[in-house]
Amino acid sequence: MKVAVCVKHAVDEAELKVDSSGSPLLAGAASKMSTFDKNAVEEALRLKSAHSGEVSIITVGTVEAKKSMKEALAMGADRGVLVVADPLTVETRRTAELLAAAIRKGGPYDAVLCSEGSSDIYSGSVPPMLGELLGLPYFGYARKVEVNGQTARVERALEDSVEVVEAPVPFIASVVSEINEPRYPTLIQIMQAGKKPMEELAPDAILPGSGPAPTLVASMKAQTMARKKVVFEGTPEESARKLVEALAAEGVLPR
Amino acid sequence: MAIYSAEHRRLMEIFHPSGSQEYSEVLTSLGSFMEKEILPVSPRVDAGEAKIAPLRKKLFDQGMCQIPFPEEHGGLGLPFSVYANAIELLGTADASIALSVEIHNAVAEGLNRFASPAQKKKYLPSLLSGKTLASFTLTEPASGSDAATMATVAEKRGKEYVIRGSKMFITNAGEADLYMVFAKTKVGPSCFLVDAPNPGMTFGADLKKLGMKGSRTSEVFFSDCRVPEENLVGAEGKGADYAKEILHGARIIVAALNVGIAQIAYDKSVAYARTRRAFGKPISEFQLIREKIADMKTAVNAGRLLYFYASMVKESGADFSSEASQAKVFSTEMSLGVCDSAIQIQGGYGYTTDELHRHWRDARLLTIGEGTSEVLRMLIARREMARSQ
Repeated sequence: MKVAVCVKHAVDEAELKVDSSGSPLLAGAASKMSTFDKNAVEEALRLKSAHSGEVSIITVGTVEAKKSMKEALAMGADRGVLVVADPLTVETRRTAELLAAAIRKGGPYDAVLCSEGSSDIYSGSVPPMLGELLGLPYFGYARKVEVNGQTARVERALEDSVEVVEAPVPFIASVVSEINEPRYPTLIQIMQAGKKPMEELAPDAILPGSGPAPTLVASMKAQTMARKKVVFEGTPEESARKLVEALAAEGVLPR
Repeated sequence: MAIYSAEHRRLMEIFHPSGSQEYSEVLTSLGSFMEKEILPVSPRVDAGEAKIAPLRKKLFDQGMCQIPFPEEHGGLGLPFSVYANAIELLGTADASIALSVEIHNAVAEGLNRFASPAQKKKYLPSLLSGKTLASFTLTEPASGSDAATMATVAEKRGKEYVIRGSKMFITNAGEADLYMVFAKTKVGPSCFLVDAPNPGMTFGADLKKLGMKGSRTSEVFFSDCRVPEENLVGAEGKGADYAKEILHGARIIVAALNVGIAQIAYDKSVAYARTRRAFGKPISEFQLIREKIADMKTAVNAGRLLYFYASMVKESGADFSSEASQAKVFSTEMSLGVCDSAIQIQGGYGYTTDELHRHWRDARLLTIGEGTSEVLRMLIARREMARSQ
C-alpha cells in the first residue's frame, strides 16, 4: 500500500509572541512539525505495517521544513518530497495545488493522509481542497481508518456523533488527534533518517504557469479578550446577588 | 520551555561546530520524550508511588544508553559530551532515574575500556539496548574512596573465583542483572563480573535515603559467591586502576546530572518569583530576589560549561581526571546551593512542599557519592601540583 502524508513545518504556537498591534511575530519564530501531522504520519505507518508498502512525506515549505521531514522519516516513513516555497507567502489554495501536483507526480497513492488542521493557521481547508483537486473521496475528522482490499472504512468524529463511511481506494483522509498516539523515533532512527531519500521540487517544475493567488490574506491578528473588570462591593450576600444580577443581564445564565 | 533549550543548542554549536545539528536533533527528541514520559511522573517517583523500572525501560528503548559507545557493540558512536548532555536533561526530568542510568552506563564504559573481546560481545549489546541492567559494586561498609582497605576477597579455586565479603550503598542492587564487583585477590584489588541470580550473592533492604527516592540502594553480600574465571575483567590486581578510570568518566556525568537538577530548581524559582506577590508587586521585582536569580543562573551556566569542558578533554584523549573532578566538585556543590536558594525564594512553600524541596534532597547525595568533595579536592590539588612542576 502506497501512502502519502502531507505535513507542514509550522510555527510553534506555544512559543509564538505577538507585537503591540496583535500581529504575530513570525520572523525568526520557533518552528516544528505541525502537532497533529504526527498523528497522520503515525496512521500511515500503521497502514504500512498492516498492509506492507511505502510511506512518502510531502510538504510545501522552505529548507527549514526538512526538519519536520526528517522527524517523519525518523518515525519510519520511507521517503520525503519537499516542494520549495515559503508557506508564509503561499496561500492555502496554492499550497493545496502544489501538494496535489507533487502527489500526482509521485503517485499513484492508495491513500493520502493529512491532519484536520495545522497547529499554526488551522484553516483546515487544504485536505478537502486536495480531495477536489485530485478527484478522490475525502473523509474529514477521521478517528479510525481501516482498509480492506479496495475499500476504506473510516469513522468520522463529528460534534455529537460518529459517522462510519466507506469509499473505494484511493482516498484522502484528515485525521483527528484521538486516532492514535504518535510514536517517538529512537535515537538510532533519528540518526539514520538523514540517509533516506529526500527530493526537492521547484513549484514551476510541477505546476507551471499558475496564475496569481486566488485568495489573499488581508491580515492576521491574535485574538484579544476585553475584560470588564467590574468589582462588586458589600457583604458577601450583597456581592453575590449583584454578581448574579449582572450575569443575568449579560444573558450568560440559563433562564 | 523545552528541556533541551535554545541555550543547550547554542552550546553544542560552540563545542561541536560540525556535528551539532545531528547531536541537537538527537537531544531535542530525547528531551521531548522525557518531557512527556518522565517529567510528569517524577513527583510520584519521589513520593514512592511510581517505580522507575518501567520509565527506565522506555528510556533504554529510545537508545539513551547507546549514545557514547562504538557502533560495533550496538552504540551510536556519538561524543561523550552528547551523552553527558543527555544525562543533564534526565537530571532535570528525574534525578533518580538519571542516577540509575548513570551507574548502569559506568559499568558499560568499564567493559568497553577494560573487558576482553569475548566479554564485550557477551555483555555490551544487551547493556546498551537496556535488555539487562548493571550495577557498579565497589564501596564497602568500611571503605569508600579508600579502595586499598577493601575487605572483600576473591580466592582462586580451580577454574573459579570465590568471592566473600560485602558491599555498601550499591545503586541498582537487587534489580540489576550484572554486577561489576571489585574484590582483592592475592595480587590486589581485581574486577569481576557476577551475573544475577547467583546463590552466593544476596541483597540487603532498600536503604532509606534523603532523596533520589526512586533509585534502589542497598548492601550486597557475597558468601562463597562462585564466578567462572573468564569473568575476571582485565588482569588480576588492576581493579583499583580500572575503578579509578571508570569513576573519572562517571564524575563528569554526575556533574551533568547535578546541572540538570539545578536547572529545574532554577526554572521553578523564576516561575514562582514572577507570580508570587508581596507588598503589591511580584517578588521578582525585589532586588534581593533578583540577586538570587542572577547568581543561580550564572552558577548553572558555569556548571554546564565545566562538564562540557571536561567531556571535551576526555574526548581528546588527554588526562581529564582533574577536569572531571573540578566539574563534579563545582556542579554538585553549585546544585545544592541553587536548590537551597530555590527553597529560600519559595519560602514556606519551598520548605513544606515535596515538589519544591525534593530537588535539594536529590542534589544532596552527590557531594558524597562517587568521590566526596573532600577527596576530589585532594585529587585536583595533587594533579595540578604535579602538572605545574
